[in-house]
Amino acid sequence: MEGTIRILKRFISATMLISIFLLVANFILLGVLVTNGMKQGLSPSVVVRNVAKGLHPSSPHSSSKGPTSPSSQNPSSPSPHDPSTLPEPSTAFILDASAVDLLERNHAWAMLIDETGQVMWNYQLPEEIPRSYSLVDVSKFSRSYLMDYPVFVWEHELGLVVVGYPKTSLAKYQHIFPTGWVSSLPLKIVLWLAANLLLALLLSLFIGSRLIHSIRPIAQGIQSLAEERAVYIEPKGVLSQLAQSVNRVSQILQKKSDRLKSRDEARSNWIAGISHDIRTPLSMILGHASDLEENSVIPEEQRRQAGIIRQQAEKLRSLVSDLNLVSMLEYEMQPLEKKPIRLSALARQVASEFLNEGLEEKYVLEIEALEETALVNGDERLLTRAIRNLIHNSIRHNPDGCRIRLQTTWNEPDRTFRFIVADNGKGVPRDELPNLLKLPYSSKRKHPRKNGHGLGLPMVARIAKAHGGQLCLDSDVGKGFTAELVLPDARS
Amino acid sequence: MDDLKSKKILIVDDEPEIRNMIDRFLRKEGFTRIYQASNCAEALELCSSAKPDIAILDVMLPDGDGFNLLTSLRQKSDMPVLFLTARGEDEDRLLGLGLGADDYMVKPFLPRELILRLTAILRRVYLPPRQEQRPAFQLGERIIDLESGVVRNGDTEHPLTAKEIALLNKLYENRNRIVTSDALCQAAWNDDYYSYENTLMVHIRRIREKIEDQPSDPQYLLTVRGLGYKLMIKEAN
Repeated sequence: MEGTIRILKRFISATMLISIFLLVANFILLGVLVTNGMKQGLSPSVVVRNVAKGLHPSSPHSSSKGPTSPSSQNPSSPSPHDPSTLPEPSTAFILDASAVDLLERNHAWAMLIDETGQVMWNYQLPEEIPRSYSLVDVSKFSRSYLMDYPVFVWEHELGLVVVGYPKTSLAKYQHIFPTGWVSSLPLKIVLWLAANLLLALLLSLFIGSRLIHSIRPIAQGIQSLAEERAVYIEPKGVLSQLAQSVNRVSQILQKKSDRLKSRDEARSNWIAGISHDIRTPLSMILGHASDLEENSVIPEEQRRQAGIIRQQAEKLRSLVSDLNLVSMLEYEMQPLEKKPIRLSALARQVASEFLNEGLEEKYVLEIEALEETALVNGDERLLTRAIRNLIHNSIRHNPDGCRIRLQTTWNEPDRTFRFIVADNGKGVPRDELPNLLKLPYSSKRKHPRKNGHGLGLPMVARIAKAHGGQLCLDSDVGKGFTAELVLPDARS
Repeated sequence: MDDLKSKKILIVDDEPEIRNMIDRFLRKEGFTRIYQASNCAEALELCSSAKPDIAILDVMLPDGDGFNLLTSLRQKSDMPVLFLTARGEDEDRLLGLGLGADDYMVKPFLPRELILRLTAILRRVYLPPRQEQRPAFQLGERIIDLESGVVRNGDTEHPLTAKEIALLNKLYENRNRIVTSDALCQAAWNDDYYSYENTLMVHIRRIREKIEDQPSDPQYLLTVRGLGYKLMIKEAN
């Protein structure tokens, strides 16, 4: 949910950026285009101004120069054919070469209209163009076209210079704006931009929410995949393929976890079954062996042998139940009978049991600095079992005797209690410690166990885990062995 | 005691070897009226016809499980029941006991343990409740009589308080073994040692003043440092 909203925010800000960029870029482009178009050749107004400037009346005597200069030809080409231009040869004009050049380049014609509306001079004037104009005519064509020729006018000392461009070569537009409109133009542009941005925002919001709408089920699907739930998303819309992929992944995961579950179940079933099937024959062995052992009719030696059979059968019995317990814990199938347990009382209880059972003199069991408030929520049988295992572990690995210290402490940082069982015996190489928590025949265990059935410490680790805690080991050769059973505070 | 041996015992187990073995042990112990059933149907029939006084039930039977069998049996009889099963899982144990079984044993079992538990149930159910007789025992010159709550030394008598009797009783039950301070506080005050640490010490000192020759150097009621106390009694036999 939060993810989709973040995607939406990102999307909108990206679209806003893009639209602002586009807007600015377009403005710049438009400006460039317009100025370019105006600069294509010289603008007609410049041409007409130049022509007006370059047109001079020539005095009669200077007309002798006429033939020498190109301007003397200005009444020329049409004039021989058109006698109507000749009626007033008295007034001759000279057009500067540069102005002629300008007209030539633009394929334009020019004429000078005097105060009375008569054409006094012309340059390449098309024949269809009338030679005299009324005031109305002038005002008409000065604003638009003269017989479809786009024409431009400029004042001259003797009248009006008109430059005509070829038909359809130019489009004349006149823009007339109220001054109020022009003066509010900057504000209008700003508003215009703002409206554009708002439009972009709304559009992106619309498109984005549409997109999010189609993304959301997929996002939720992936979320539930992470939580290992089965997912089915209706494949529709743009992202239907993605939805199908998610569905497929869900199916694959489901299949895998099912397979894993059934394998776990088969394994624990197998162990339970085996231990069940072993129990009945073992009952017979144990029963008859102990019967023989107590039978006073039988010779002493045979009774001793029967005793050995009984002892071994009992060992087998404890092994079977240990295996069962460890695998039940491993597959989280062991029910816990939880109740508040005072760790200090447990320490005294277990230590007393060991002493009452006749602990050998070479082992010293010490109770030290017990944290009396240590209260955990746990299964008393399992926790007792864990601590017994730890003490047994110290005893078994130090046949020459050692001091075994029991301690309970409170660890403020992680709010846990620790039950510590530490000895000052031979210890274990530090790099072998992780091995000790693995099951004895697991493929992960690098070195096979040396003595004991090797279930003791793995069982403690699993009991700790079942209580939401863990088993921490610390040791090195000659440094003794310290096991800390870390258990969460019952009150937190 | 002997009328316990005349009680009728029903063994329900699908393994004939197990049935015969238990049968043999029971007969050796003096029980004579023993019935065997290999499934629920037989068990129910025997229950009606023979009216046994106690039943030893297996949980896994060919025509049902022992828990259901117990429920059916309960409709006919209130006899005590002991589960003897190859299923050791704790939940089964809880289920069995929750259904009103009197005890629950897991195979493989020691015959002696089975006999002891069976006898304990029979005694509890069928013998008239004995007047709870607190013991009396001798420490050196003194006789500690917990029933009358006095310590006798020759002609003099020192009375014991209720808490002192409770503590001594607990210590005597576990004589020559360490009893943790926690267990003592539970026995006397029904509470954690945590809150009764000093009270316990005071009571122990008073008991020593009554039972020891030299209370500062106790011979019988010993302190086990950090753990609790131990009552040393030389068995008279």
